[in-house]
Amino acid sequence: MPEIKEKITSEIKRLLDEGLVDVVIGFKKEESPLRPQPAFFRKVEDLAELEYNGLCQNNLANYLTRYPQDTRIGIVVRGCENRSVNALVVEHQHARENLFLIGVPCQGIIDIKKIIAEVGEEVSEFSETGDEVTLVARGKTHTFKRQDLLHDSCLRCAHPNPVSADVVIGEPLPEGDPEMIRKAVEEFEGLSKEERYAWFKEESERCIRCYACREACPMCYCTECFVDHATPRWTESDISPAGTQAWHLIRAFHQTGRCTSCGACERACPMDIKMTYLTDKLNKDMYDNYEFIPGMEAETQPPFASFNLDDKKRFVV
Amino acid sequence: MEAKPKIVLFQCQWCLYSEPDQQWVENDLPSSMHLVKVPCTGRINTLHVLNAIQGGADGVMISGCLPEKCHFKEGNLSAMRQQDEFANLLDYVGYEKERIRFVWLDLQDLGRIQKELAAFEADIVELGPTQNLATRTPQTIRGEHA
Repeated sequence: MPEIKEKITSEIKRLLDEGLVDVVIGFKKEESPLRPQPAFFRKVEDLAELEYNGLCQNNLANYLTRYPQDTRIGIVVRGCENRSVNALVVEHQHARENLFLIGVPCQGIIDIKKIIAEVGEEVSEFSETGDEVTLVARGKTHTFKRQDLLHDSCLRCAHPNPVSADVVIGEPLPEGDPEMIRKAVEEFEGLSKEERYAWFKEESERCIRCYACREACPMCYCTECFVDHATPRWTESDISPAGTQAWHLIRAFHQTGRCTSCGACERACPMDIKMTYLTDKLNKDMYDNYEFIPGMEAETQPPFASFNLDDKKRFVV
Repeated sequence: MEAKPKIVLFQCQWCLYSEPDQQWVENDLPSSMHLVKVPCTGRINTLHVLNAIQGGADGVMISGCLPEKCHFKEGNLSAMRQQDEFANLLDYVGYEKERIRFVWLDLQDLGRIQKELAAFEADIVELGPTQNLATRTPQTIRGEHA
């Protein structure tokens, strides 16, 4: 996708030259081609190190809340990032008029854990064309199907296209199937109580409480998280079963109607813990009960921030 | 289950029960039940509920005002949405959602809270004890149990 990268570069160059934005958030190259890092471009000269490919793991919307509201930010957004930006705008975390969204239809993020499992970490070259990914590791060339390396949450992605970008680079892709997430959740719901708890226990109790998931998540922007409270101490902040379980439950619950299923939390996790099955369940319920999909537009408040007396019909017997 | 199930009752302070009921709730609750008064059901964080469960409660009952009668207009509606969904989430990971119950109570309902609590207790006895969700170690203040 070198041509997409070039188009992004020229678009950012235009924005910076015309002074439309103060800073542009994108990705830049790092020593290892496997790990492009988020970068903040203020000068046109820096654009030489811009990178955009399937290995860009982070959700860039994460960095919006670190700027004052009046900073004019340009940001490179894929489908999920665009929805995260919308969800943040709904919560007044940044003014929409001070944002310029450079949308890129996303073919899915490649999970570097899958690459490392296949060819090891010493990858010297990476290139991708359409459905194929080519890697050079220790002098050997490997070719993979893109589909085999995609991150799990990208395999289930329902909206790969940016929904409210100011400019879209590249051709729109076919929309995904929302049933994929529902099926995964329903499969889990079909298990017995004990099986579900066993899975939850296994996943949550591996947690080492590094909070990488929280840091990677654009919606986790509280300046003080509930786990950091000393008085009252809401949950145990060590790795006891009760503490890790509470962290996983409440972290997921705080994302109800806000999570855009980008999977940044799972990609950030050093223990490879699955956690999108929790937020996917909550999102499914939000859609079933309130027909709400997080981030599809920047006006509607999430269900927990809005109330309706019609609920009475559902809840009062 | 040999011992009686432990129940935590969250009560909104604005929809006090009728006088004798309120007296009973405040002074004569059985020792297996614990009363927590809150300014509004909307104030109940899911963390409070989870804390009660992880602190050893077998069931949590939340009693709020009728939908149109919230002192803060819509606090109870917000609480209902959240606690209902939280119960669903706990159910999803293997903790029965029947252990969290929301009741709407009004000043006129003389004698209803006793019935509700008794029915809830009976339901929990039927569900039996559960190991699903770890309990936390008791909190201590300067080495002594709080």
